[in-house]
Amino acid sequence: MSKKSRSKIWFLVHSWLALPIWFFVLIVCVTGTLAVISREIVWLANPETRANPPSDEARRLNYDELLVAMQRDQPGIAVASLMTLSESHFAMLSDVTYPDGRTLRVYVNPYTGHIQGVPPQFNFEEFTRALHGWWLVPHTNGYSWGWYLVSLLGLPMLASLVTGLVIYKRFWKGFFKPTLRFNQGARIFWGDFHRLSGIWSIWFIAVISITGTWFLVKALLADNHIAISSQPIIPVVARETVPLTADGTPAPMISPDEAVRITQREIPGFTVDYVGFPSNAYAHLSIGGMSWYPLVYQKAEINPYTGAMEASRLLGDRKAVEIFTESMRPLHTGEFAGLTSKLIWFFFGLLLSMMVLSGLLIWSKRTALATANALKRSQKQARTAKAAVSTEVTSSS
Amino acid sequence: MSQTDTLPPSGLKQLWLKWRFHLNILLILVPLGFMPKYFADASLFRGDSGLGANIVENIQVGRWTLDLAELRDEAPRAEGPAGYFKAFNAACTSCDEGVKATYLRVGKPRSLRAAGTIFFGAPARMGTSLPIPPRTRPDADIWITIEGWDGKMYQASVPLAKASPATAAWLEKQGGNK
Repeated sequence: MSKKSRSKIWFLVHSWLALPIWFFVLIVCVTGTLAVISREIVWLANPETRANPPSDEARRLNYDELLVAMQRDQPGIAVASLMTLSESHFAMLSDVTYPDGRTLRVYVNPYTGHIQGVPPQFNFEEFTRALHGWWLVPHTNGYSWGWYLVSLLGLPMLASLVTGLVIYKRFWKGFFKPTLRFNQGARIFWGDFHRLSGIWSIWFIAVISITGTWFLVKALLADNHIAISSQPIIPVVARETVPLTADGTPAPMISPDEAVRITQREIPGFTVDYVGFPSNAYAHLSIGGMSWYPLVYQKAEINPYTGAMEASRLLGDRKAVEIFTESMRPLHTGEFAGLTSKLIWFFFGLLLSMMVLSGLLIWSKRTALATANALKRSQKQARTAKAAVSTEVTSSS
Repeated sequence: MSQTDTLPPSGLKQLWLKWRFHLNILLILVPLGFMPKYFADASLFRGDSGLGANIVENIQVGRWTLDLAELRDEAPRAEGPAGYFKAFNAACTSCDEGVKATYLRVGKPRSLRAAGTIFFGAPARMGTSLPIPPRTRPDADIWITIEGWDGKMYQASVPLAKASPATAAWLEKQGGNK
Protein backbone atom coordinates (compact mmCIF):
# COMPACT_ATOMS: atom_id res chain seq x y z
CA MET A 1 0.00 0.00 0.00
CA SER A 2 1.35 3.41 -0.89
CA LYS A 3 2.21 5.93 1.82
CA LYS A 4 -0.51 8.23 0.55
CA SER A 5 -3.32 5.74 0.67
CA ARG A 6 -2.18 4.54 4.09
CA SER A 7 -2.43 8.03 5.49
CA LYS A 8 -5.82 8.36 3.81
CA ILE A 9 -7.01 5.29 5.67
CA TRP A 10 -5.71 6.72 8.94
CA PHE A 11 -7.55 9.89 8.11
CA LEU A 12 -10.79 8.06 7.44
CA VAL A 13 -10.45 6.05 10.65
CA HIS A 14 -9.86 9.28 12.57
CA SER A 15 -12.86 10.91 10.92
CA TRP A 16 -15.24 8.10 11.61
CA LEU A 17 -14.18 7.20 15.16
CA ALA A 18 -16.67 9.32 17.03
CA LEU A 19 -18.88 10.41 14.23
CA PRO A 20 -21.97 8.21 14.36
CA ILE A 21 -22.23 8.96 18.08
CA TRP A 22 -20.78 12.47 18.12
CA PHE A 23 -23.60 13.98 20.12
CA PHE A 24 -23.31 11.31 22.80
CA VAL A 25 -19.54 11.90 23.00
CA LEU A 26 -20.11 15.64 23.18
CA ILE A 27 -22.61 15.36 26.05
CA VAL A 28 -20.30 13.00 27.95
CA CYS A 29 -17.47 15.52 27.54
CA VAL A 30 -19.63 18.48 28.55
CA THR A 31 -21.12 16.74 31.61
CA GLY A 32 -17.65 15.58 32.64
CA THR A 33 -16.35 19.13 32.32
CA LEU A 34 -19.22 20.41 34.44
CA ALA A 35 -18.76 17.63 36.99
CA VAL A 36 -15.17 18.76 37.58
CA ILE A 37 -16.33 22.10 38.94
CA SER A 38 -19.83 21.08 40.04
CA ARG A 39 -19.01 21.72 43.69
CA GLU A 40 -17.75 25.20 42.83
CA ILE A 41 -20.90 25.92 40.82
CA VAL A 42 -23.03 24.88 43.79
CA TRP A 43 -20.81 27.00 46.05
CA LEU A 44 -21.52 30.04 43.88
CA ALA A 45 -25.24 29.36 43.66
CA ASN A 46 -25.96 28.24 47.23
CA PRO A 47 -24.60 30.22 50.21
CA GLU A 48 -25.40 27.26 52.50
CA THR A 49 -22.39 25.41 51.09
CA ARG A 50 -19.91 28.14 52.06
CA ALA A 51 -17.76 28.22 55.17
CA ASN A 52 -18.07 31.80 56.34
CA PRO A 53 -16.46 32.60 59.70
CA PRO A 54 -18.77 34.64 61.97
CA SER A 55 -15.88 36.97 62.80
CA ASP A 56 -12.27 37.48 61.81
CA GLU A 57 -10.90 35.85 64.94
CA ALA A 58 -13.20 32.82 64.75
CA ARG A 59 -11.40 29.46 64.70
CA ARG A 60 -12.54 26.17 63.24
CA LEU A 61 -14.15 23.93 65.86
CA ASN A 62 -12.71 20.54 66.67
CA TYR A 63 -14.79 17.39 66.17
CA ASP A 64 -16.05 17.17 69.76
CA GLU A 65 -17.22 20.79 69.67
CA LEU A 66 -18.85 20.27 66.28
CA LEU A 67 -20.89 17.32 67.53
CA VAL A 68 -22.19 19.33 70.50
CA ALA A 69 -23.03 22.33 68.31
CA MET A 70 -24.80 20.21 65.69
CA GLN A 71 -26.84 18.45 68.33
CA ARG A 72 -27.81 21.83 69.78
CA ASP A 73 -28.75 23.03 66.32
CA GLN A 74 -30.86 20.03 65.34
CA PRO A 75 -31.73 17.98 68.45
CA GLY A 76 -32.11 14.25 67.96
CA ILE A 77 -29.96 13.84 64.85
CA ALA A 78 -27.54 10.93 64.59
CA VAL A 79 -24.24 11.95 63.00
CA ALA A 80 -22.65 9.22 60.87
CA SER A 81 -19.65 11.14 59.54
CA LEU A 82 -17.89 14.49 59.35
CA MET A 83 -15.86 15.46 56.33
CA THR A 84 -13.61 18.45 55.76
CA LEU A 85 -13.11 19.36 52.11
CA SER A 86 -9.64 20.21 50.93
CA GLU A 87 -10.50 23.85 50.25
CA SER A 88 -11.31 25.91 53.30
CA HIS A 89 -14.06 27.96 51.66
CA PHE A 90 -16.36 24.94 51.56
CA ALA A 91 -18.68 24.07 54.44
CA MET A 92 -18.02 20.69 56.02
CA LEU A 93 -20.16 17.77 54.93
CA SER A 94 -21.85 15.48 57.39
CA ASP A 95 -24.07 12.45 56.88
CA VAL A 96 -26.85 12.59 59.43
CA THR A 97 -30.07 10.74 60.15
CA TYR A 98 -32.98 12.82 61.38
CA PRO A 99 -35.45 11.42 63.93
CA ASP A 100 -38.04 11.12 61.14
CA GLY A 101 -35.77 8.72 59.24
CA ARG A 102 -34.43 11.06 56.57
CA THR A 103 -30.77 10.38 55.87
CA LEU A 104 -29.08 13.42 54.40
CA ARG A 105 -25.70 14.90 53.75
CA VAL A 106 -25.82 18.32 55.40
CA TYR A 107 -23.62 21.41 55.12
CA VAL A 108 -22.01 22.31 58.44
CA ASN A 109 -20.30 25.60 59.23
CA PRO A 110 -16.83 24.63 60.52
CA TYR A 111 -16.64 27.71 62.79
CA THR A 112 -20.01 27.43 64.50
CA GLY A 113 -21.25 23.87 63.94
CA HIS A 114 -24.46 25.33 62.56
CA ILE A 115 -26.20 23.05 60.07
CA GLN A 116 -26.60 25.52 57.23
CA GLY A 117 -28.68 23.43 54.89
CA VAL A 118 -29.26 20.20 53.02
CA PRO A 119 -28.78 19.54 49.30
CA PRO A 120 -32.01 20.11 47.36
CA GLN A 121 -33.96 17.25 45.76
CA PHE A 122 -32.21 18.11 42.52
CA ASN A 123 -28.60 17.70 43.58
CA PHE A 124 -26.58 19.26 40.77
CA GLU A 125 -23.29 17.67 41.83
CA GLU A 126 -24.67 14.16 42.05
CA PHE A 127 -26.76 14.55 38.93
CA THR A 128 -23.93 15.67 36.66
CA ARG A 129 -21.72 12.91 38.04
CA ALA A 130 -24.42 10.28 37.52
CA LEU A 131 -25.14 11.51 34.01
CA HIS A 132 -21.47 11.60 33.12
CA GLY A 133 -20.52 8.41 34.95
CA TRP A 134 -23.29 5.97 34.07
CA TRP A 135 -25.70 7.84 31.84
CA LEU A 136 -28.28 7.55 34.67
CA VAL A 137 -28.74 3.83 34.01
CA PRO A 138 -29.41 2.29 37.46
CA HIS A 139 -26.95 -0.22 38.93
CA THR A 140 -29.06 -3.28 39.56
CA ASN A 141 -26.60 -6.13 39.27
CA GLY A 142 -22.99 -4.98 39.52
CA TYR A 143 -22.08 -2.10 37.24
CA SER A 144 -24.86 -0.72 35.06
CA TRP A 145 -24.69 -0.95 31.29
CA GLY A 146 -24.66 2.85 31.24
CA TRP A 147 -21.30 2.72 33.03
CA TYR A 148 -19.97 0.41 30.29
CA LEU A 149 -21.45 2.62 27.59
CA VAL A 150 -19.61 5.71 28.87
CA SER A 151 -16.36 4.04 29.89
CA LEU A 152 -16.11 2.28 26.50
CA LEU A 153 -15.61 5.73 24.97
CA GLY A 154 -12.09 5.73 26.43
CA LEU A 155 -11.00 3.39 23.64
CA PRO A 156 -12.13 5.42 20.60
CA MET A 157 -10.82 8.51 22.37
CA LEU A 158 -7.40 6.96 22.72
CA ALA A 159 -7.59 5.83 19.10
CA SER A 160 -8.56 9.37 18.06
CA LEU A 161 -5.49 10.71 19.79
CA VAL A 162 -3.17 8.20 18.13
CA THR A 163 -4.67 8.48 14.64
CA GLY A 164 -4.83 12.25 15.00
CA LEU A 165 -1.11 12.41 15.67
CA VAL A 166 -0.38 10.01 12.82
CA ILE A 167 -2.25 12.09 10.23
CA TYR A 168 -1.04 15.43 11.56
CA LYS A 169 2.36 15.44 9.86
CA ARG A 170 5.13 16.79 12.09
CA PHE A 171 2.62 17.93 14.68
CA TRP A 172 5.40 19.09 17.02
CA LYS A 173 5.99 22.00 14.68
CA GLY A 174 2.56 23.26 15.73
CA PHE A 175 3.93 24.01 19.18
CA PHE A 176 6.40 26.52 17.78
CA LYS A 177 4.24 27.93 15.01
CA PRO A 178 0.70 28.07 16.35
CA THR A 179 -1.74 28.70 13.52
CA LEU A 180 -5.28 29.90 13.97
CA ARG A 181 -6.58 31.60 10.83
CA PHE A 182 -9.70 33.65 11.49
CA ASN A 183 -10.30 35.25 8.13
CA GLN A 184 -10.25 32.38 5.69
CA GLY A 185 -13.62 30.83 6.27
CA ALA A 186 -15.10 28.48 8.84
CA ARG A 187 -13.50 25.29 7.48
CA ILE A 188 -9.99 26.67 7.82
CA PHE A 189 -10.67 28.16 11.24
CA TRP A 190 -12.14 24.97 12.71
CA GLY A 191 -9.38 22.90 11.13
CA ASP A 192 -6.72 25.12 12.74
CA PHE A 193 -8.59 25.11 16.03
CA HIS A 194 -8.91 21.32 16.02
CA ARG A 195 -5.21 20.82 15.37
CA LEU A 196 -3.99 23.53 17.73
CA SER A 197 -6.13 22.50 20.70
CA GLY A 198 -5.38 18.90 19.82
CA ILE A 199 -1.62 19.16 20.22
CA TRP A 200 -1.87 21.19 23.43
CA SER A 201 -4.34 18.62 24.79
CA ILE A 202 -2.26 15.51 24.02
CA TRP A 203 -1.48 14.95 27.70
CA PHE A 204 -5.06 15.63 28.77
CA ILE A 205 -6.69 13.39 26.16
CA ALA A 206 -4.22 10.66 27.10
CA VAL A 207 -5.02 11.06 30.81
CA ILE A 208 -8.79 11.13 30.29
CA SER A 209 -8.91 8.23 27.85
CA ILE A 210 -6.56 6.03 29.87
CA THR A 211 -8.32 6.73 33.17
CA GLY A 212 -11.67 6.36 31.39
CA THR A 213 -10.59 2.98 30.07
CA TRP A 214 -9.57 2.07 33.61
CA PHE A 215 -13.21 2.58 34.66
CA LEU A 216 -14.13 0.02 32.01
CA VAL A 217 -11.50 -2.43 33.26
CA LYS A 218 -12.56 -1.81 36.85
CA ALA A 219 -16.17 -2.68 36.03
CA LEU A 220 -15.10 -5.77 34.08
CA LEU A 221 -12.97 -6.95 37.02
CA ALA A 222 -15.70 -6.31 39.57
CA ASP A 223 -18.47 -7.88 37.52
CA ASN A 224 -16.34 -10.96 36.99
CA HIS A 225 -15.42 -11.04 40.69
CA ILE A 226 -11.71 -10.66 40.08
CA ALA A 227 -10.03 -8.87 42.98
CA ILE A 228 -6.62 -7.24 42.66
CA SER A 229 -6.75 -5.56 46.05
CA SER A 230 -4.33 -6.54 48.78
CA GLN A 231 -6.61 -4.93 51.36
CA PRO A 232 -7.43 -7.39 54.13
CA ILE A 233 -11.03 -7.65 55.28
CA ILE A 234 -11.19 -5.84 58.59
CA PRO A 235 -12.99 -7.95 61.18
CA VAL A 236 -15.67 -6.31 63.30
CA VAL A 237 -14.88 -5.16 66.82
CA ALA A 238 -14.37 -8.30 68.90
CA ARG A 239 -17.40 -9.15 71.02
CA GLU A 240 -15.22 -9.46 74.14
CA THR A 241 -14.06 -5.85 73.88
CA VAL A 242 -17.59 -4.45 73.76
CA PRO A 243 -18.54 -4.01 77.38
CA LEU A 244 -21.87 -5.02 78.88
CA THR A 245 -23.60 -2.57 81.15
CA ALA A 246 -25.69 -3.67 84.10
CA ASP A 247 -28.20 -0.83 83.78
CA GLY A 248 -28.62 -1.18 80.02
CA THR A 249 -27.07 2.17 79.07
CA PRO A 250 -24.75 2.17 76.06
CA ALA A 251 -21.09 1.56 76.85
CA PRO A 252 -19.04 4.75 76.72
CA MET A 253 -17.03 5.37 73.55
CA ILE A 254 -13.99 7.51 73.03
CA SER A 255 -14.59 10.93 71.51
CA PRO A 256 -13.67 11.68 67.89
CA ASP A 257 -10.89 14.03 68.95
CA GLU A 258 -9.46 11.29 71.15
CA ALA A 259 -9.57 8.95 68.11
CA VAL A 260 -7.76 11.56 66.02
CA ARG A 261 -5.10 11.91 68.74
CA ILE A 262 -4.63 8.14 68.90
CA THR A 263 -4.32 7.90 65.11
CA GLN A 264 -1.75 10.67 64.97
CA ARG A 265 0.19 9.11 67.82
CA GLU A 266 0.25 5.71 66.09
CA ILE A 267 0.87 7.13 62.60
CA PRO A 268 2.93 10.32 62.91
CA GLY A 269 2.09 12.90 60.28
CA PHE A 270 -1.36 11.49 59.51
CA THR A 271 -3.55 14.34 58.25
CA VAL A 272 -7.21 13.94 59.12
CA ASP A 273 -10.13 15.14 57.03
CA TYR A 274 -12.70 12.48 57.78
CA VAL A 275 -14.26 10.93 60.86
CA GLY A 276 -16.72 8.07 60.40
CA PHE A 277 -18.63 7.16 63.52
CA PRO A 278 -19.31 3.49 64.28
CA SER A 279 -22.34 2.37 62.25
CA ASN A 280 -23.32 -0.10 64.96
CA ALA A 281 -22.06 -1.40 68.32
CA TYR A 282 -19.53 -3.72 66.64
CA ALA A 283 -18.15 -1.26 64.11
CA HIS A 284 -14.97 0.79 64.27
CA LEU A 285 -14.53 4.50 64.39
CA SER A 286 -12.82 5.40 61.10
CA ILE A 287 -10.31 8.18 60.67
CA GLY A 288 -9.34 9.11 57.13
CA GLY A 289 -7.10 11.55 55.32
CA MET A 290 -4.97 12.10 52.26
CA SER A 291 -1.41 10.78 52.22
CA TRP A 292 1.56 12.92 51.15
CA TYR A 293 0.95 11.52 47.67
CA PRO A 294 -2.24 13.43 46.91
CA LEU A 295 -3.94 10.67 44.91
CA VAL A 296 -4.15 7.99 47.60
CA TYR A 297 -6.32 8.11 50.70
CA GLN A 298 -5.36 6.59 54.06
CA LYS A 299 -7.59 5.18 56.78
CA ALA A 300 -7.29 3.98 60.34
CA GLU A 301 -9.84 1.94 62.27
CA ILE A 302 -10.09 2.59 65.99
CA ASN A 303 -11.86 0.40 68.52
CA PRO A 304 -14.29 2.94 70.02
CA TYR A 305 -14.32 1.24 73.46
CA THR A 306 -10.63 0.53 74.07
CA GLY A 307 -9.11 3.22 71.85
CA ALA A 308 -6.84 0.66 70.19
CA MET A 309 -5.97 1.20 66.55
CA GLU A 310 -6.99 -2.19 65.17
CA ALA A 311 -6.36 -1.69 61.46
CA SER A 312 -4.96 0.83 59.06
CA ARG A 313 -4.55 1.17 55.34
CA LEU A 314 -1.71 3.49 54.49
CA LEU A 315 0.05 4.48 51.29
CA GLY A 316 2.89 2.08 52.07
CA ASP A 317 0.48 -0.85 52.46
CA ARG A 318 -0.45 -0.69 48.79
CA LYS A 319 1.12 -2.70 46.02
CA ALA A 320 2.52 -0.62 43.15
CA VAL A 321 -0.39 -1.67 40.94
CA GLU A 322 -2.86 -0.43 43.58
CA ILE A 323 -1.18 2.94 43.79
CA PHE A 324 -1.58 3.09 40.02
CA THR A 325 -5.24 2.01 39.97
CA GLU A 326 -6.22 4.18 42.94
CA SER A 327 -4.65 7.19 41.22
CA MET A 328 -6.96 6.76 38.24
CA ARG A 329 -10.06 8.41 39.68
CA PRO A 330 -8.47 11.64 40.98
CA LEU A 331 -6.53 11.89 37.72
CA HIS A 332 -9.82 11.61 35.83
CA THR A 333 -11.69 14.16 37.93
CA GLY A 334 -8.79 16.57 38.48
CA GLU A 335 -9.51 16.61 42.19
CA PHE A 336 -6.10 16.36 43.79
CA ALA A 337 -4.57 19.82 44.06
CA GLY A 338 -7.45 22.01 45.08
CA LEU A 339 -9.03 24.56 42.82
CA THR A 340 -5.94 24.86 40.59
CA SER A 341 -6.06 21.32 39.26
CA LYS A 342 -9.85 21.48 38.91
CA LEU A 343 -9.65 24.68 36.85
CA ILE A 344 -6.98 23.14 34.60
CA TRP A 345 -9.15 20.06 34.12
CA PHE A 346 -12.19 22.26 33.47
CA PHE A 347 -10.36 24.32 30.85
CA PHE A 348 -9.05 21.27 29.00
CA GLY A 349 -12.45 19.60 29.37
CA LEU A 350 -13.99 22.54 27.57
CA LEU A 351 -11.29 22.32 24.92
CA LEU A 352 -11.96 18.59 24.49
CA SER A 353 -15.70 19.23 24.12
CA MET A 354 -14.90 21.86 21.52
CA MET A 355 -12.69 19.35 19.72
CA VAL A 356 -15.64 17.00 19.34
CA LEU A 357 -17.67 19.86 17.97
CA SER A 358 -14.94 21.20 15.70
CA GLY A 359 -14.26 17.68 14.48
CA LEU A 360 -17.89 17.39 13.49
CA LEU A 361 -17.83 20.78 11.76
CA ILE A 362 -14.73 19.84 9.78
CA TRP A 363 -16.29 16.54 8.90
CA SER A 364 -19.51 18.10 7.69
CA LYS A 365 -17.55 20.57 5.59
CA ARG A 366 -14.86 18.28 4.26
CA THR A 367 -15.28 14.59 4.86
CA ALA A 368 -18.90 14.62 3.79
CA LEU A 369 -17.86 16.26 0.55
CA ALA A 370 -14.90 13.96 0.12
CA THR A 371 -17.03 10.90 0.79
CA ALA A 372 -19.68 12.07 -1.65
CA ASN A 373 -16.97 12.74 -4.25
CA ALA A 374 -15.39 9.35 -3.65
CA LEU A 375 -18.77 7.71 -4.09
CA LYS A 376 -19.41 9.63 -7.27
CA ARG A 377 -15.98 8.64 -8.56
CA SER A 378 -16.52 4.98 -7.88
CA GLN A 379 -19.94 5.11 -9.52
CA LYS A 380 -18.43 6.84 -12.49
CA GLN A 381 -15.68 4.24 -12.65
CA ALA A 382 -18.30 1.55 -12.49
CA ARG A 383 -20.23 3.17 -15.29
CA THR A 384 -17.12 3.52 -17.46
CA ALA A 385 -16.19 -0.08 -16.72
CA LYS A 386 -19.68 -1.17 -17.71
CA ALA A 387 -19.56 0.99 -20.81
CA ALA A 388 -16.17 -0.49 -21.71
CA VAL A 389 -17.60 -3.99 -21.33
CA SER A 390 -20.61 -3.16 -23.47
CA THR A 391 -18.41 -1.55 -26.12
CA GLU A 392 -16.31 -4.67 -26.11
CA VAL A 393 -19.41 -6.78 -26.47
CA THR A 394 -20.74 -4.59 -29.28
CA SER A 395 -17.45 -4.51 -31.10
CA SER A 396 -16.94 -8.24 -30.80
CA SER A 397 -20.40 -9.09 -32.08
CA MET B 1 -13.68 -4.28 -11.19
CA SER B 2 -15.17 -6.60 -8.63
CA GLN B 3 -18.83 -7.43 -8.62
CA THR B 4 -19.56 -6.00 -5.17
CA ASP B 5 -18.92 -2.45 -6.32
CA THR B 6 -21.67 -2.54 -8.84
CA LEU B 7 -24.17 -4.49 -6.72
CA PRO B 8 -26.48 -2.47 -4.45
CA PRO B 9 -25.33 -2.62 -0.79
CA SER B 10 -26.83 -5.36 1.34
CA GLY B 11 -29.92 -4.61 3.44
CA LEU B 12 -27.99 -4.41 6.69
CA LYS B 13 -25.38 -2.07 5.27
CA GLN B 14 -28.04 0.15 3.80
CA LEU B 15 -29.81 0.23 7.14
CA TRP B 16 -26.54 1.23 8.87
CA LEU B 17 -25.80 3.94 6.30
CA LYS B 18 -29.29 5.35 6.55
CA TRP B 19 -29.71 5.25 10.33
CA ARG B 20 -26.19 5.51 11.80
CA PHE B 21 -26.60 9.13 12.89
CA HIS B 22 -29.85 8.31 14.62
CA LEU B 23 -27.75 6.37 17.14
CA ASN B 24 -27.21 9.77 18.75
CA ILE B 25 -30.91 10.22 19.33
CA LEU B 26 -31.23 6.71 20.74
CA LEU B 27 -28.35 7.32 23.12
CA ILE B 28 -29.79 10.64 24.30
CA LEU B 29 -33.14 8.97 24.97
CA VAL B 30 -31.46 6.60 27.47
CA PRO B 31 -30.84 9.13 30.29
CA LEU B 32 -34.13 10.85 29.55
CA GLY B 33 -35.90 7.55 30.02
CA PHE B 34 -34.09 6.77 33.26
CA MET B 35 -34.50 10.22 34.77
CA PRO B 36 -37.73 9.50 36.70
CA LYS B 37 -36.14 6.36 38.11
CA TYR B 38 -33.01 8.31 39.07
CA PHE B 39 -34.98 10.88 41.04
CA ALA B 40 -37.20 8.22 42.63
CA ASP B 41 -34.06 6.39 43.80
CA ALA B 42 -32.47 9.60 45.08
CA SER B 43 -35.59 10.29 47.11
CA LEU B 44 -35.65 6.69 48.38
CA PHE B 45 -32.06 6.87 49.62
CA ARG B 46 -32.62 10.25 51.26
CA GLY B 47 -35.56 8.73 53.12
CA ASP B 48 -37.92 11.30 51.61
CA SER B 49 -40.22 8.58 50.36
CA GLY B 50 -40.33 6.62 53.61
CA LEU B 51 -38.66 3.48 54.85
CA GLY B 52 -39.21 1.36 51.75
CA ALA B 53 -41.86 -0.98 50.38
CA ASN B 54 -44.31 -3.31 52.16
CA ILE B 55 -43.76 -1.74 55.57
CA VAL B 56 -44.65 -3.98 58.50
CA GLU B 57 -45.40 -1.56 61.31
CA ASN B 58 -45.16 -1.82 65.08
CA ILE B 59 -43.41 -5.16 65.45
CA GLN B 60 -43.00 -5.73 69.17
CA VAL B 61 -39.50 -6.93 70.09
CA GLY B 62 -39.02 -6.99 73.85
CA ARG B 63 -39.98 -3.54 75.08
CA TRP B 64 -39.25 -1.90 71.75
CA THR B 65 -41.41 -1.49 68.66
CA LEU B 66 -39.90 -1.53 65.25
CA ASP B 67 -41.01 -0.96 61.64
CA LEU B 68 -39.52 -3.19 58.96
CA ALA B 69 -39.57 -2.57 55.21
CA GLU B 70 -37.87 -4.01 52.19
CA LEU B 71 -35.89 -1.35 50.35
CA ARG B 72 -37.53 -2.27 47.05
CA ASP B 73 -40.54 -4.38 46.17
CA GLU B 74 -38.54 -6.93 44.19
CA ALA B 75 -36.93 -10.38 44.25
CA PRO B 76 -33.49 -10.87 45.86
CA ARG B 77 -30.51 -9.67 43.84
CA ALA B 78 -27.57 -11.88 42.91
CA GLU B 79 -24.27 -10.66 44.34
CA GLY B 80 -21.91 -13.03 42.58
CA PRO B 81 -20.47 -15.96 44.48
CA ALA B 82 -21.90 -14.67 47.76
CA GLY B 83 -25.41 -15.61 46.64
CA TYR B 84 -28.68 -13.71 46.76
CA PHE B 85 -29.39 -10.74 48.99
CA LYS B 86 -32.36 -8.66 49.93
CA ALA B 87 -32.02 -5.15 51.37
CA PHE B 88 -34.22 -4.36 54.38
CA ASN B 89 -34.64 -1.16 56.34
CA ALA B 90 -35.87 -0.80 59.90
CA ALA B 91 -36.87 2.14 62.05
CA CYS B 92 -37.04 1.96 65.81
CA THR B 93 -37.05 5.33 67.50
CA SER B 94 -37.36 3.76 70.96
CA CYS B 95 -34.17 1.75 70.28
CA ASP B 96 -32.03 4.71 71.36
CA GLU B 97 -32.42 3.30 74.87
CA GLY B 98 -30.86 0.00 75.81
CA VAL B 99 -30.36 -1.55 72.38
CA LYS B 100 -26.85 -2.67 71.57
CA ALA B 101 -27.53 -4.26 68.19
CA THR B 102 -30.36 -5.42 65.94
CA TYR B 103 -30.14 -8.44 63.64
CA LEU B 104 -32.20 -10.04 60.88
CA ARG B 105 -32.22 -13.67 59.85
CA VAL B 106 -34.29 -16.13 57.81
CA GLY B 107 -35.44 -18.75 60.33
CA LYS B 108 -35.14 -18.65 64.08
CA PRO B 109 -31.62 -18.02 65.41
CA ARG B 110 -30.47 -20.49 68.03
CA SER B 111 -28.13 -18.08 69.75
CA LEU B 112 -26.94 -14.51 69.71
CA ARG B 113 -23.81 -15.63 67.86
CA ALA B 114 -25.96 -16.74 64.94
CA ALA B 115 -28.48 -13.93 65.08
CA GLY B 116 -28.03 -13.11 61.39
CA THR B 117 -26.96 -9.94 59.64
CA ILE B 118 -26.48 -6.87 61.79
CA PHE B 119 -28.28 -3.60 61.04
CA PHE B 120 -26.13 -0.56 60.21
CA GLY B 121 -27.01 3.06 60.84
CA ALA B 122 -29.04 5.15 63.22
CA PRO B 123 -32.09 3.57 64.89
CA ALA B 124 -34.35 6.03 63.05
CA ARG B 125 -33.32 4.40 59.79
CA MET B 126 -31.04 1.42 59.70
CA GLY B 127 -30.41 -1.04 56.94
CA THR B 128 -29.08 -4.50 56.35
CA SER B 129 -28.56 -6.89 53.49
CA LEU B 130 -30.14 -10.24 54.24
CA PRO B 131 -28.78 -13.34 52.47
CA ILE B 132 -31.62 -15.39 51.01
CA PRO B 133 -30.61 -19.00 50.29
CA PRO B 134 -32.56 -20.04 47.18
CA ARG B 135 -33.73 -23.17 49.00
CA THR B 136 -35.57 -21.19 51.66
CA ARG B 137 -39.19 -22.27 52.06
CA PRO B 138 -41.51 -19.53 50.77
CA ASP B 139 -43.53 -19.76 54.00
CA ALA B 140 -40.45 -19.11 56.17
CA ASP B 141 -40.34 -16.39 58.80
CA ILE B 142 -37.72 -13.70 59.15
CA TRP B 143 -36.57 -13.10 62.68
CA ILE B 144 -35.61 -9.83 64.24
CA THR B 145 -33.24 -10.18 67.19
CA ILE B 146 -32.43 -7.30 69.48
CA GLU B 147 -29.38 -7.60 71.70
CA GLY B 148 -29.61 -5.40 74.75
CA TRP B 149 -26.69 -3.63 76.39
CA ASP B 150 -27.52 -5.90 79.33
CA GLY B 151 -26.52 -8.90 77.19
CA LYS B 152 -30.07 -10.27 76.90
CA MET B 153 -31.72 -11.30 73.64
CA TYR B 154 -35.22 -10.29 72.47
CA GLN B 155 -36.90 -11.74 69.40
CA ALA B 156 -39.87 -11.38 67.08
CA SER B 157 -40.73 -12.79 63.68
CA VAL B 158 -42.60 -11.74 60.56
CA PRO B 159 -43.65 -14.04 57.72
CA LEU B 160 -41.28 -13.51 54.80
CA ALA B 161 -44.28 -13.45 52.47
CA LYS B 162 -45.57 -10.41 54.35
CA ALA B 163 -42.27 -8.54 54.60
CA SER B 164 -41.39 -9.22 50.97
CA PRO B 165 -44.07 -10.82 48.77
CA ALA B 166 -41.72 -10.62 45.78
CA THR B 167 -39.10 -12.71 47.62
CA ALA B 168 -41.71 -15.34 48.56
CA ALA B 169 -42.86 -15.48 44.94
CA TRP B 170 -39.24 -15.79 43.79
CA LEU B 171 -38.62 -18.64 46.27
CA GLU B 172 -41.76 -20.37 45.03
CA LYS B 173 -40.25 -20.29 41.54
CA GLN B 174 -36.85 -21.48 42.77
CA GLY B 175 -38.56 -24.45 44.44
CA GLY B 176 -40.34 -25.21 41.17
CA ASN B 177 -37.01 -25.43 39.37
CA LYS B 178 -35.58 -28.07 41.62
